[in-house]
Amino acid sequence: MDFDAIVVGSGITGGWAAKELTEAGLKVLMIERGREVRHQQDYSTEMKMPWDMPFRGAGDSDLYDREYAVQRLNRHFTEFTQPNFVNDAQNPYQTGEDTRFTWFRSYQLGGRSLTWGRQAYRWSDYDFGANARDGHGTDWPIRYADIAPWYDKVESFIGVSGAKEGLKQLPDGQFQPPMALNAVETHVRAQIAKRWPERCLTIGRTANMTEGKPEEGRAPCQYRSLCARGCSYGAYFSTQSSTLPAAMKTGNLTVITDAVVEALDYDPATRRVTGVRYIDTKTGTRKTARARIVFLNAGAFNSVHILLNSAPGGLANSSGVLGTHIMDHANTLSAAALMPGFETHTSFGNRPTGIVIPRYRNMDQMDGIGHTRGFSFQGGALQSTWTQGNRMAGIGAEYKEKLRHPGPWRMVLVGFADCVPRATNRLTLDPAKTDANGLPQLRIDFAFGKEEHAALAQAKAEAAEMLTAAGGKVLMGFDQPGPGGTAIHEMGGARMGHDPKTSVLNKWSQSHDIANLFVTDGAQMSSTACQNPSLTYMALTARAAHAAVGMLREGRI
Amino acid sequence: MPKIESPIARREFMAGMALLAAVAPALAHAKAAPSPYQPLLREVAQLVIPRSATPGAGEVGVGAFVLLALDHGLEGTKGFDHAAWLKTALGADFLVKPLARRRSALAALDARAFAGDAAAKPWLAIKHLILLGYYTSETGGSKELQYVHVPGRFDPDLPLKPADRAFSSDWTAVDFG
Repeated sequence: MDFDAIVVGSGITGGWAAKELTEAGLKVLMIERGREVRHQQDYSTEMKMPWDMPFRGAGDSDLYDREYAVQRLNRHFTEFTQPNFVNDAQNPYQTGEDTRFTWFRSYQLGGRSLTWGRQAYRWSDYDFGANARDGHGTDWPIRYADIAPWYDKVESFIGVSGAKEGLKQLPDGQFQPPMALNAVETHVRAQIAKRWPERCLTIGRTANMTEGKPEEGRAPCQYRSLCARGCSYGAYFSTQSSTLPAAMKTGNLTVITDAVVEALDYDPATRRVTGVRYIDTKTGTRKTARARIVFLNAGAFNSVHILLNSAPGGLANSSGVLGTHIMDHANTLSAAALMPGFETHTSFGNRPTGIVIPRYRNMDQMDGIGHTRGFSFQGGALQSTWTQGNRMAGIGAEYKEKLRHPGPWRMVLVGFADCVPRATNRLTLDPAKTDANGLPQLRIDFAFGKEEHAALAQAKAEAAEMLTAAGGKVLMGFDQPGPGGTAIHEMGGARMGHDPKTSVLNKWSQSHDIANLFVTDGAQMSSTACQNPSLTYMALTARAAHAAVGMLREGRI
Repeated sequence: MPKIESPIARREFMAGMALLAAVAPALAHAKAAPSPYQPLLREVAQLVIPRSATPGAGEVGVGAFVLLALDHGLEGTKGFDHAAWLKTALGADFLVKPLARRRSALAALDARAFAGDAAAKPWLAIKHLILLGYYTSETGGSKELQYVHVPGRFDPDLPLKPADRAFSSDWTAVDFG
């Protein structure tokens, strides 16, 4: 099989790579390790009610202990969404002795684009300039101006709803009309702004559409907030709803599912990759595909895994940093509060996004306590329903009557802190343990450090301050991060940089060593910022695809 | 507009079921084995959530659901026989006591558990499962409370009156409320 380009992976960035490359006229092969999931036809639980499910949506705990021990810890994992997450027993990985890392994975066509949290934020030069500023990691070879037009392109195409706020640290984008704040959030926004003019609570910018795109067969959000089951309305961005149809329309795309890429083929004479080797998991047979360029979009850790497994010591690793400097946002519940005074207010419908309070520390002055970067909050205000009964003594008629009505309003702020890149946080291949395909298992060594702990300590204190100032009664708050992977923003391992001696990729997400190899998923990241990274992955992918096509046309690769 | 109110074609439904069965054989055939504790759990569920304008928990099969859930370790119940414990805690003659006595015995156990009495602690998980079973049943979820699968809109601020019923389909509230 010969193609112009091979794209490994079909998730958030794989879909984008396939769309951009096929629309440029290239014949593209997209290889997905998991099963096929057809838009609308294969969202098997989408319209099921809790009483349609054997375990009412909570799922079979015994089964999850045995086979989904990690995935079950993901907030989006339920009996309804279980088909969209990996079976951990069948997909093992190793962690270092002192490492706690929950690696959340979705191995199917569409990957985590089906199960993602859909928050879509631009990065600013506070983020792209962070490494140069405080000396952690290596300087990004790009700045906001390099990526801004690609953010425009991506937002316009995928459909992002949000409110323009004119913030330097969270640049405005091409937004569809925002979803509304509820009564409590509106109040808290006003109180925070009054006391801290530099802090802004705004609606989460989300890849859920408030306006349809009928020409693409996509309807606006129906406010179910059941996204991770798959959405037949096509109202949120997924590969299936958005990039895959566009790529298919060109007639230039071939998709293979149930195919695990084990390695890239490399020709030392030309210093080029010639294609990929993969395992057809349905038959167990090993196959190859050839192409002029390869895009790795297998997901940050799996793209690194493929490179590590492609040559002794790793392919595209003259720098020796392949697999190092992996990161994930330090993430915890910073504050939860009761919000009295709204007993006569309610809302209707399930908004699929919460609120965000973008970073406000360490911007134009270094005012973080014990850390040099940012933290931000997500969360929202909600009204209790029957689950409040779990905390209430009582039985009988009166108890039932209490649970019949909405309970008190609460507000939660979940902290996301910037994670410093560290050489000791790294991916390696386990020397002994293999998986079902006979491939070496990935080993993760990861720990948060004093910077993340300091940022979350400050986040806890300030979250409580803000909710209290807004009239809330703080119930609890935490300053210890969940295990690595908790934020589901694992990234790094093939970092971008100026210098081939200290980085894997250049400013085009292109290997310094191998000119026809591009890595455009989370692996390329040199720092984390404190906002969700997927929009940036997409913009960098579109930018890299454009660059790659140009280089191909000019005969440079 | 995609047509999704139309019934799924049988072929696709079967494919979906086959997938479910493939990923989780246990799910395709989940049902509780007949249990000697069935009458006790039915009665206890009914005492927690009795009949009002809508049926109670016992009447809509929550006892059987709790036994299934206990069998599969939901709510952290693995490794301890909660049903046997409940029978012991309430006494062997619980089911033959008059209703008022059954109610006061269970209320006392519930009060002890919520007061932090370690000896009554297993009751908390059982109670959680009764609530889960009831408010995710069609009766509890959509008759006692309101259930809207496709709201179609978001109204951010509506007046709430004392008689208004909560939504079992407010997923954020279910998760975090």
